[in-house]
Amino acid sequence: MNTSRENIIAALTEDLAPVKRFATRDGLLLIVGATALALAASVAIHGFWFGMFEGQASGFFWITNGLLLMLGGASGLAVVTSASPRVGPRPNSPGWSTAMLAIIPAAALITFFAGGHEHDGALVDGATALCTRSSLFAALAIAAASVWWLRKGAPVSPERSGWLVGIASGALGTFAYGITCPVDSLTHMGLWHVVPVAIAAVIGRLAVPPLIRW
Amino acid sequence: MIADEATLSRLMASAQNGDKAAYNVLLSEAGMWLERYFRRRVPPHQLDDLVQDVMLALHNKRASYDPTRPFLPWLSAIARYRWVDHLRKVYKHEADLLEDGDAFEDSEEDVVEARVSLERLFVHLPEKQAEVIELVKIEGRSIREASEATGQSESLVKVNIHRGLKKLSALVEKAD
Repeated sequence: MNTSRENIIAALTEDLAPVKRFATRDGLLLIVGATALALAASVAIHGFWFGMFEGQASGFFWITNGLLLMLGGASGLAVVTSASPRVGPRPNSPGWSTAMLAIIPAAALITFFAGGHEHDGALVDGATALCTRSSLFAALAIAAASVWWLRKGAPVSPERSGWLVGIASGALGTFAYGITCPVDSLTHMGLWHVVPVAIAAVIGRLAVPPLIRW
Repeated sequence: MIADEATLSRLMASAQNGDKAAYNVLLSEAGMWLERYFRRRVPPHQLDDLVQDVMLALHNKRASYDPTRPFLPWLSAIARYRWVDHLRKVYKHEADLLEDGDAFEDSEEDVVEARVSLERLFVHLPEKQAEVIELVKIEGRSIREASEATGQSESLVKVNIHRGLKKLSALVEKAD
C-alpha cells in the first residue's frame, strides 16, 4: 500500500465517530410528517369538506384520492430507500402505481370525447387553476422533506431519485389538497387532480438531481 | 487477500459504532477491493486518486450502510457513482479542450490520457460514429476530408458526429 493511502486511512480512522444509522422508518416518518403538515395547511386554507362523510362525495373522489395515496406511499418509500447505495434492480412499485393512476385521466378523456355518455363537468372548469396551484404548493412540503433526506444519504442515481421525489411529492401533495376539494366529477378529478403529479414529476426530474449530488 | 463479505459487514457495523480498530482494517480491505475494481476502468495513474475519493465518500456516507445488507454491493454502488462522476469530469474536460482548439498544446501525457479514456467510451458507439468523431474532433480534419476518408456523405458525417457525441454524453451521465 502506498504512503498517501496509508495516510488517508490513518486520518479517516482518527476522525471516526459513532453515527446514527439510516433507518427506513425514520425516512417514512419524515415523509408522513411532511404530508400531515401539507394536509393541515390545506385544511387551514381551504377548510375541511365535511360533505365527504355525508355521502356527498362521488366514487371518483374516493378512487382518485385512494390511488394518489397509494402512489405517494409507493414512491415515497422508493425515495427513502434510494438514499442508501445499492446495486441491482429495485422494486418498480412506483411505476405500477403510476400506471394505475393513469387509468383515471384516460377514463375521463375517453368518457368526455365519446360524447353522448353521461360524462359530467367540462375539461377546464372554474377550479382548474386553484386545484393545480394548491396541489403543487402542498407538494412543496413533501419535496423539501424528501430532498433533505436524500442530501443526508447517498443516492447513487440522482435522475431516478429526482423522478421519484417529483412523483411522491406530487401525489401526496395533490392528495393533501384534494380531500378539501368538493368538485368531484370524473373529468375534474381525472385531469386536475392528476396533472399536478405529472408537473411535479417533471420539475423533480429537472430540479432535484443538482440538489442531491454528492 | 480481501476479507469475506460477512467479515466486511461486521467490520463496517463496528465502525458505525465508533470502533477505530475495525475501521482501520475495513479501510485497508476496502482499498484493496477498490484497487481491483478500478484497475480495468481507469488509467493506472488515476487509480489511486479514485480509490482515495471513494474511501472519503465511504467515510462521509457511512451512516447510509444497513448492516442487515451485504457490504460489497453497498461499496460497489458508491464506487460506481464516483467512477461515473470521474468520467463525467474527464469527458467534459476533454470536450472543453476540443471545443477551445487547445488540444495540440497539451502535454504528451494529457493527450495519451484523453485517448485512453475516449477509447474506453468509443467501444459503446457504432463504428461509423466513432470513426468520424475520431477524424474530426480528435485529428482535427474537416468534414469534407472525413467524408472522403470514410465514404459517408458530408451531412451524414455531421449527423454521426452529433449522435455520437450525444451518446457519449449519455454514457457518462447514466448512473444506474
